Amino acid sequence: MITGLDVGSTTAKIIRLDSGKLTASKVVPSHRWKELLEYGNTRNTIATAEAIGTVETPGTIQTTGTTQTMRNAQTIVSTGYFRKTVPHTAAITEITAASLGVRYYIPDAQVIVDVGGQDTKVIDLRNNTFLINDKCSAGTGAFLELAAHYFDIPVESLGKLHTRAKRTARINNTCGVFAISEMISQLVGGYTMEEVICGIHQAFARRIAQMIPPVETVVLIGGTVLNTGIVESFESIHGSTVVLPPSPQTVNALGAALYGEKLRPGQ
Amino acid sequence: MTDTVGITALIPPELVYACRHSPIDVNNIVPTSSINPRSKLCAWTAVWRDEIMEGQLDIDSLVVVAGGDCHNALVDGQKVALSGIPTHYFFYPFDRDPDYMASQLEGLAGFLGGIKDKEMFSNISGLKEKGLALDQLRVDDRARASDVFSALISFGDMQGDPAAFEEVLDSIPRTDVEYSSRVALIGVPPIYPDFHEVAESFGLHVVYDELPYEFVRLCGKDLQGLAGSYRNYSFSGPVTGRIDIIRQELDRRRVDGVIHYTQFACHHTLEDEIFRAHLDYPVLTVQGDLPRPSSEQLKLRLEAFSEMMEVMP
Repeated sequence: MITGLDVGSTTAKIIRLDSGKLTASKVVPSHRWKELLEYGNTRNTIATAEAIGTVETPGTIQTTGTTQTMRNAQTIVSTGYFRKTVPHTAAITEITAASLGVRYYIPDAQVIVDVGGQDTKVIDLRNNTFLINDKCSAGTGAFLELAAHYFDIPVESLGKLHTRAKRTARINNTCGVFAISEMISQLVGGYTMEEVICGIHQAFARRIAQMIPPVETVVLIGGTVLNTGIVESFESIHGSTVVLPPSPQTVNALGAALYGEKLRPGQ
Repeated sequence: MTDTVGITALIPPELVYACRHSPIDVNNIVPTSSINPRSKLCAWTAVWRDEIMEGQLDIDSLVVVAGGDCHNALVDGQKVALSGIPTHYFFYPFDRDPDYMASQLEGLAGFLGGIKDKEMFSNISGLKEKGLALDQLRVDDRARASDVFSALISFGDMQGDPAAFEEVLDSIPRTDVEYSSRVALIGVPPIYPDFHEVAESFGLHVVYDELPYEFVRLCGKDLQGLAGSYRNYSFSGPVTGRIDIIRQELDRRRVDGVIHYTQFACHHTLEDEIFRAHLDYPVLTVQGDLPRPSSEQLKLRLEAFSEMMEVMP
């Protein structure tokens, strides 16, 4: 059994592979990541996060400073912000995890855009380069959280509300703070909440589009791309063909698990 | 009497020593400075400016490289001049004109009181040969990049004492280096004091430091020789010249990838797109602002870059 554990800034995701077959996947808020270690663990070789401690090298676990070999210990490959603090056999960055996970579904993928809760990563698989925007909330899930918070609605409802807009309220600012002021101005000017949300999605998409090199097809991943308003806005602004893998939110956890397969083939 | 001459970027230190003065590269105190500049674009110039004006860096005069390298230094250097420090402005020729270069060196020698000890030219030249040999050691995986970088970056001023500096060079440990990838570091040097150590911790062996290599590559045994060599200071001319040198070094040093360090508000940042377009290697661009230990954001990028070169086909 190979476990891919992606604990990001907002959500924690788990994927389990058994002999190369995906047997379980789940998403919970990041602070509840420990629940994931029990989920789908049919072999029950490892009890809880507290019991396992940190797995430092394949086949060994470390608990309170004592390293011991553990027979049948499962391989856990972690990724995400918390990758080095959750139990792990190996830890890899989100960039590598995304690259491996996306290529599993889309072998000829060229450019990946991973829209996370706190940053956005653009990975160009053609030349193994990447860009990370983590200096401001523009183009990250945090930007949409701000907008949803202002309207006092769940962030998950933004995509549905987007489809009800009859026109788009132009939002020029991609700075999260200034964008709120602009949203208010557009509401004062007579635009509806749905139309302002549509404008927010387009501002978001413009910010991301600036980071992407010229390419025909872009693979979007991350929990934020479950918002259909973001995907639709991005397609119209960037002009590229957009591809989403089957589970865009758990693809990094899958990539981590696939890395684990390389460490321990046949598990 | 020997004066301490602050220098804001590369000028021939051998000329300062030949004029019987002691140079100090004011940039070398910046990465470990605790000053928060009052007003700034680039933190490199703003920090040395404040260090000098607040009396924390004691110099008798300042030579500002105002043309051909750092544009912000022209203004921050004038602020220092207005505070009463005798200041000279030095300009490299963008077109690499040897006569203009010689006239700038003559003007500099005049500011420093004239050449009095011509032997310093050959003394420093000998030291630079040691520097080149040290640089080759890390290319051959026989010295840590962090040790070599700290030595090479000091060739801008020889730490104010060539004889003592030679002992420092001789003490650099020779050791076999293990790593996962060989990388080049181009651009201005990182403002993070621990950059090379952090890169090493992720298996990245820096086999080329672009700017410090210029410090040892350029030399001359008289003023005309200096003019003929320093007019080719890569940062001072067209970027195409830099690309030619970088390509040659990337090939010679067998690198796997390139890290382009950019400094916030430095005009060299605009060159990033050019390097990405003209260097056929994976390129990681990182940016720093104020002098601090390496940030978690920087560490994530270095770790990911190392992984991509190792894991991805």
